Amino acid sequence: MINRTAAIAGIGATEFSKDSGRSELRLAVEAIRAALDDAGLRPADVDGLVTFTMDANSEIAVARELGAGELTFLTRIGYGGGAACAVVQQAVLAVAAGIARVVVCYRALNERSGRRFGQAHASPDADAAWHVPMGLATPAAQVAMVARRYLHEYGASTDDFGRVSVAARRHAATNPHAWFHGRPITLDEHRASRWIAEPLRLLDCCQESDGAVAVVVTSAQRARDLARPPAVIAAAAQGSGPGQFVMTSYYRPRMAALPEMGVVGGQIWAQSGYRPEEVRTAMLYDHFTPYVLLQLEELGFCGPGEARHLIADGGIELGGRLPVNPHGGQLGEAYIHGMNGIAEAVRQVRGTAANQVPGDGPVLVTAGTGVPTSGLILEPAGARP
Amino acid sequence: MILETARRLREAGETAARAGRDPVNLPMIRTWLEAMGDANPVYERELLAPPAMIQVWTMRGLSGPPVPDPLHLMSEISDEEGFVAVVATDSRQTYHRYLRVGEEVSVRSRLDSVVGPKRTALGEGWFITTVSTWLVGDEPVAEMTFRILRYRPGSLATEVEEKLRPTITPDNEFFWAGVTAGELRFQRCGECRMPRHPPGPACPACGSFKQEYDVASGAGTIHSHVVHHHPPVPGRRAPFVVALVDLPEGVRMVGEYRGPRPEIGDEVRVFFDDGLPVWRPDVPVLEPWTIEVTPTLIVSTALATRDFQNVHHDRDAAVRLGGRDIFLNILTTTGLVQRYVTGTLAPGTRIRGIDIRLGTPCYAYDTLTFTGQVLPHGIEVVGRTGAGAHVTGLVRVAP
Repeated sequence: MINRTAAIAGIGATEFSKDSGRSELRLAVEAIRAALDDAGLRPADVDGLVTFTMDANSEIAVARELGAGELTFLTRIGYGGGAACAVVQQAVLAVAAGIARVVVCYRALNERSGRRFGQAHASPDADAAWHVPMGLATPAAQVAMVARRYLHEYGASTDDFGRVSVAARRHAATNPHAWFHGRPITLDEHRASRWIAEPLRLLDCCQESDGAVAVVVTSAQRARDLARPPAVIAAAAQGSGPGQFVMTSYYRPRMAALPEMGVVGGQIWAQSGYRPEEVRTAMLYDHFTPYVLLQLEELGFCGPGEARHLIADGGIELGGRLPVNPHGGQLGEAYIHGMNGIAEAVRQVRGTAANQVPGDGPVLVTAGTGVPTSGLILEPAGARP
Repeated sequence: MILETARRLREAGETAARAGRDPVNLPMIRTWLEAMGDANPVYERELLAPPAMIQVWTMRGLSGPPVPDPLHLMSEISDEEGFVAVVATDSRQTYHRYLRVGEEVSVRSRLDSVVGPKRTALGEGWFITTVSTWLVGDEPVAEMTFRILRYRPGSLATEVEEKLRPTITPDNEFFWAGVTAGELRFQRCGECRMPRHPPGPACPACGSFKQEYDVASGAGTIHSHVVHHHPPVPGRRAPFVVALVDLPEGVRMVGEYRGPRPEIGDEVRVFFDDGLPVWRPDVPVLEPWTIEVTPTLIVSTALATRDFQNVHHDRDAAVRLGGRDIFLNILTTTGLVQRYVTGTLAPGTRIRGIDIRLGTPCYAYDTLTFTGQVLPHGIEVVGRTGAGAHVTGLVRVAP
């Protein structure tokens, strides 16, 4: 069904800020208009809208403000940032099934100036009863529990987490759209940053952002005739593991792992026909640095516990063995729930990124970790039959 | 001005020795013991002062002449800048020996640090830390690092927030009923007997809806843990530790951990506090001790410790400065910690030092419950009121 039938034809975003000064609905509309302009399409061409269950902007409100007409496909994906690539998968399925012809995936949030996800919130979710009342009430703390076990099992150090942050900030420093443009950090600065939830420091946690990103999905055939070179969707997968919880999958025999990302990895390699060593650059979801290491392992770029060797000596930086998040990721560019990683992957396929990774190989994108997640592989048109 | 004064005082170094008003004497000792409710006979029998009284001997008093010690001078400048309210936050006392009746005590002190302005739960304020050394003649007999918070009352004051509470469902209510009953329960399938946590309505192994529970032994091993620093979690004071614990019964669960910094693999044991399971090191514990904090206790102990700050005897003043009522002073909290340890272990227990950190104030009409754990480096004591930990501390005792 995926089988290179669809492509991302347009991308759009607002500026990334700490206080947008406008409604999330307006941000959504601005990003979608930019994505449609980018693709050379009009609002009237849109017949499908997909977003995250966490997004506050209803599909119908977005459609009204866009001036879109009839919609034939409206859906949402749950589990926070884990939805990022899955919304694109939904669009691909709709296009491939002939249900919709132009599907826009969007995410708009005033996460810094509005409701901040990093704070401790009461949750009505019954699963939360096993963690939040016990004081394990923030995403950083929930990740820290896995991170501590990871350090213990594999002999990694908090410096290995720091290297992820250093790479992201190096990349953001030369990306004019990144919040941390011009502000690289050193490993010593990571070491000196304050504890948030040991073993995580402030610089292990991604920033908080206001902004929106939208992408336009249509058939690969139609995309070829539009304004921009298409980013063909070679693979699009969603995954949940056994014994899955939201951020707290602590009850599996091995907790220092992300088996749900393994479920995604198995599918995307099979769908695309690529192997990990062929990937040119990877947009790995980086809300917290330890999960970048675990993703490298789950996706098969290295064995369990070996990611620290892969990231050593600039291995995930520009010019390294596998440049990760050349836009700066969510640590460096902005936290738009993973959607800005998809936009960067499209720019890398087009050859228009601020920090362009040379070559024409496939580009990998992943979505939120610690939750049911998703992934994509994008490639230029004609890369594979 | 605050920082300028602090700089000047730090540069001035340690003050000259200032003599206490009276020598160590039996009437003040008896008054102190009586106010604290401490029936330990050792002091009168051996004519020794309770070690936790050390500060009392050199308190300035109600109308004594102003003394140029750094804490007093920093307090004056804080007052002028609007930081008019004060609470003590930390006290670390080391006793080289007990004082004998008749000895003349003097004190020297120096300013250690002034940090601020900080946003605190009480209001915006400055943490002022001083170091004092008590002497008999030229012999240092005790030392103390003492920290207070001078704050602008109500400037950022927040009510003590309630802890986040679980959503109770038909599938998990047995667990929470167990906590209320003082039992750590875990689910066991009524058909295939598989243990399971967190629980659910259907057994993932055999599909049965017949769900039962067993009561765990209460023992566990730390599988992983987190030290939470930021952001604030309602009803808790950071840093605090949350652990993931492997139970020998074959399940794993998350709970707060209280005790010295844990390591993965540490043996722990469950107890229950404020409707939640909490883990502690699997070490001997002291029998808990509960005391009703009456206004009489607060006022009599404040006077017996020669602490005439109005917030410890004048309800109107305490409320005006942002409190709910009059509250215990830190000298009394130190004394009650000493009373708990000597009263529970043995009257003759020799105290080498008392390090305490104050949390939520202990107000009149609060119920204060002390618990303690015997650890290699000392006895960890926690005193809690309904609002949370009033005091956490370590009492170092002679072997």
